[in-house]
Amino acid sequence: MNFWINFWSFFFYTSLVLFGGLAIVVSIGGFFNIRSMFKSMAEQGASEEDVTENNT
Amino acid sequence: MDYIDLEALGLKTNFTIVDWVIVILYLLGIVSVGVYIRRYVKNVTSFIVAGRSLKTYLAIATMIGTELGLVTVMYASQKGYTGGFAAFHIAFAAAIVTLMVGLTGFIVVPLRRMGVMTIPEFYEKRFGKGVRILGGIILAFSGILNMGMFLKAGSLFVMGVTHMTSPRDLKLIMTVLLGFVLLYTTLGGMVSVVVLDYIQFVVLSFGLLATSIIAIRNLGWHHIVDTVQQVQGEAGFNPFHGEGFGTSYVIWMFFMGLVSCAIWQTAVIRACSAESIKVVRKLYIWSSIGFMIRFLIPYFFGICALVYIFDHESLRNIFLPGGKTADSQTTLMAMPVLLSQILPAGLIGIISAGMLAAFMSTHDSYLLCWSSVLTQDVVAPCFKKELSSKTRLLLTRLFILTIGIFILIWGLWYDLGQDLWDYMAISGAIYFTGAIALLTCGLYWKRASKTGAYLALVCGFLAILGLKPIQRFCGFEQEIPTEIVGLTVIGLAIVGMILGSLIFPDRVTEKIEGSEIR
Repeated sequence: MNFWINFWSFFFYTSLVLFGGLAIVVSIGGFFNIRSMFKSMAEQGASEEDVTENNT
Repeated sequence: MDYIDLEALGLKTNFTIVDWVIVILYLLGIVSVGVYIRRYVKNVTSFIVAGRSLKTYLAIATMIGTELGLVTVMYASQKGYTGGFAAFHIAFAAAIVTLMVGLTGFIVVPLRRMGVMTIPEFYEKRFGKGVRILGGIILAFSGILNMGMFLKAGSLFVMGVTHMTSPRDLKLIMTVLLGFVLLYTTLGGMVSVVVLDYIQFVVLSFGLLATSIIAIRNLGWHHIVDTVQQVQGEAGFNPFHGEGFGTSYVIWMFFMGLVSCAIWQTAVIRACSAESIKVVRKLYIWSSIGFMIRFLIPYFFGICALVYIFDHESLRNIFLPGGKTADSQTTLMAMPVLLSQILPAGLIGIISAGMLAAFMSTHDSYLLCWSSVLTQDVVAPCFKKELSSKTRLLLTRLFILTIGIFILIWGLWYDLGQDLWDYMAISGAIYFTGAIALLTCGLYWKRASKTGAYLALVCGFLAILGLKPIQRFCGFEQEIPTEIVGLTVIGLAIVGMILGSLIFPDRVTEKIEGSEIR
């Protein structure tokens, strides 16, 4: 049983540290990704409107 | 539903009026954001897969944000409560399998390469329209049934944290929450889901990490380990122990890991929304940490709840009557009760707001997912003329409303009778046991045929026998464990697919359009 206690203790603490790091990186990176997503969707919308106008 | 009056046991919650204000402001804030984002939705692609414009970090955040919902935290903490540290093997399996999917691109890369929006769309490209429609019906049925317990889990969380006891108030709150979800999901679609999932990710990631630290400081690591040892013995640590999970359960959990990340539609839709195949691979490699932590931390909360309850006699009589685990509904409340006791006012408001918003976020993802499956894969293929983008959007929104009403009724009526996680696993299995066969054989075996696909889908539907009320209805003398039902049905579906394909091969070998099979 000691093997499992040590294994799960190590697993738990390592995972917390890894996730802490991931949370920081993804929070910052995700913010910039949102900005660029809106920008690209706005451009996509504008170009679709242009095509519609040209067709009419 | 029986309600536990915690105040009568002398337990006061730390959830104060300040926390209510935090919760209300937070929820109003995110709903406003969701509604505001509506202006970016121009067509059905932007509604369902956010214009396929998700970059790596946002894709990771939204994947974890969706999967790390209140319901996940509730069912996982219940498993931690009943299974102890041995439950960590489920998180371990989820991480390993998701990492392997990321490294190999198994299933998700060919799917993204094909440019499909839903898995039944793949069924049509590979096996024909009939398989798509049947697959879509089974997928939506399984998915809607799967989310049927969400409202109940959410209501038990609110009760546990706030110590509310009035069923009327609670039903009202849950209905209002569902109303909010319906509002911004029908208006914003995937774009608002993505942004709100990101907010969820940020709030919950840091909130859960802080709560873990507070729990360890309050209870002490060695005390936690010693108590689990005292209550559950070796079965509380060794997942292969016969009195605990056992080997077949561990194998079943590896399948569940694969299903959660590569076959379950809500996860696959993230892969389909990704900007490129490179992003898909990165998404899965990094999300393996998220898929692990979404189980691991709640398991730990469940374990801490067990320890806290064991230390308090009044709670022990309710949650561990006669030294045995209480019924499913009671054990679901263990984690919220722990939070109401160890978290300080203010922080408990932020955590609860995050959890409730996550509850809404999971709902919106699932509602969007199953309604788009019904629109794209069941209704649209039935028409000879292609439906316009406007009609599809309208249909999707109508399905969202209908499913919302169904889950409100189902959540209040259905008698769970098993751990929530096992209910989720087996209700999902109605779809994924067949889907495993269709996806693996369809993508990697040229001889897989339409007849084999039909057989696999029908065999997969037998997983419904894993639900306890169905077993009782069928008059089974002994209850069959969910893992045995699940593994047997997976085997049947694969055998059905192979035999059906060999005996009834397709007349013309169809090649998957626009994709390379590897």
